[in-house]
Amino acid sequence: MAHVLVVEPDIHLARAYVGALQHAGHQVQAAGSAQMAIHAADTQTPDVVLLELQLPAHGGIEFLYEFRSYPEWGAVPVVINSYTPPHVLASVADTLRDELGVHAVLYKPQTSLDVVLRTVAACLKGAA
Amino acid sequence: MNQLTTTAIILSRTDYGEADRILTLLTPDQGKLRLVAKGVRRVKSKLAGGIELFSVSHITFIRGRGDMGTLVSTRLQAHYAHIVQHLDRTMAGYDLIKQLNKATEDQPGPDYFHLLHQTFQSLDDVSVPLSIIHLWFAMQLLRLGGHEPNLHTDAAGQRLDAGAQYQFSLDDMAFSPAARGRFAAAHIKFLRLGFAGQPPRVLAHVRGSTALVETCAPLVQAIATHVA
Repeated sequence: MAHVLVVEPDIHLARAYVGALQHAGHQVQAAGSAQMAIHAADTQTPDVVLLELQLPAHGGIEFLYEFRSYPEWGAVPVVINSYTPPHVLASVADTLRDELGVHAVLYKPQTSLDVVLRTVAACLKGAA
Repeated sequence: MNQLTTTAIILSRTDYGEADRILTLLTPDQGKLRLVAKGVRRVKSKLAGGIELFSVSHITFIRGRGDMGTLVSTRLQAHYAHIVQHLDRTMAGYDLIKQLNKATEDQPGPDYFHLLHQTFQSLDDVSVPLSIIHLWFAMQLLRLGGHEPNLHTDAAGQRLDAGAQYQFSLDDMAFSPAARGRFAAAHIKFLRLGFAGQPPRVLAHVRGSTALVETCAPLVQAIATHVA
């Protein structure tokens, strides 16, 4: 059983991800903002983070830089699952991968729950 | 107790203990400061709001015995919120902060503080293209480091001719006449504006600025690599 941190501001989507991930056997924490996500990670270090970039107050990129500035979270794999269009993310793909340790990028409108679960599972397998 | 007040911009944050953070801050009058911010990792810390990136804050701190002080209080003076609304501008901001942190010693002069403050203002103005901000920033780092190229006379000491074409010599840090050179009067004027410290929005208003940036950016990058 792995611990998954879901950073998702939409409460209905967050419930769906939490339910699906719990059904897949994971322990899940959900956070609706960057600050709450840092607090959640502080409470229990996640094995993988599922992250929406479009967050209130502090964006997902700010969260990522903050998250990576803590050595104990430096190797935690991150999956971006966002409404941010792929062409926008393509321009910063190298930084996301090389500097911020993003393992996979999913475009939320075109990503099923099944694909999210498989991507999280692949990350956990790769990190194991 | 030696309590001091200044204006500061966050350069980096790392953790320290369970709930503390070590901040590296850039100030106009105290150089770089390394301060412990106690308890800011916790959600309800009263300090958390004042230690935002892409912000200028009034801070109060106590100098320690070593090189590390303690942050007492912070008050946000300006926060450039438009930056974080754009993914590319946010990432550019992090990159430019990192570049400035790397390029400066422990006691950088106030010009570096003003450079970073002006960089935030430019990133916050979404009408200014990122390519111009990157080029302008690189020019200012060269200027402040004393590596400004000669933009008035050629390598032989002759005044630059508005009708001539030039190539750039890194060894001479000056242009040389070349029939098929890539640089003409418009490029040199653009570089003069940038190296004179004119803000990015002024560069953005120059006619043909996009094409000028495309030609000038590799040159400025080459100079930066050459002097590194």
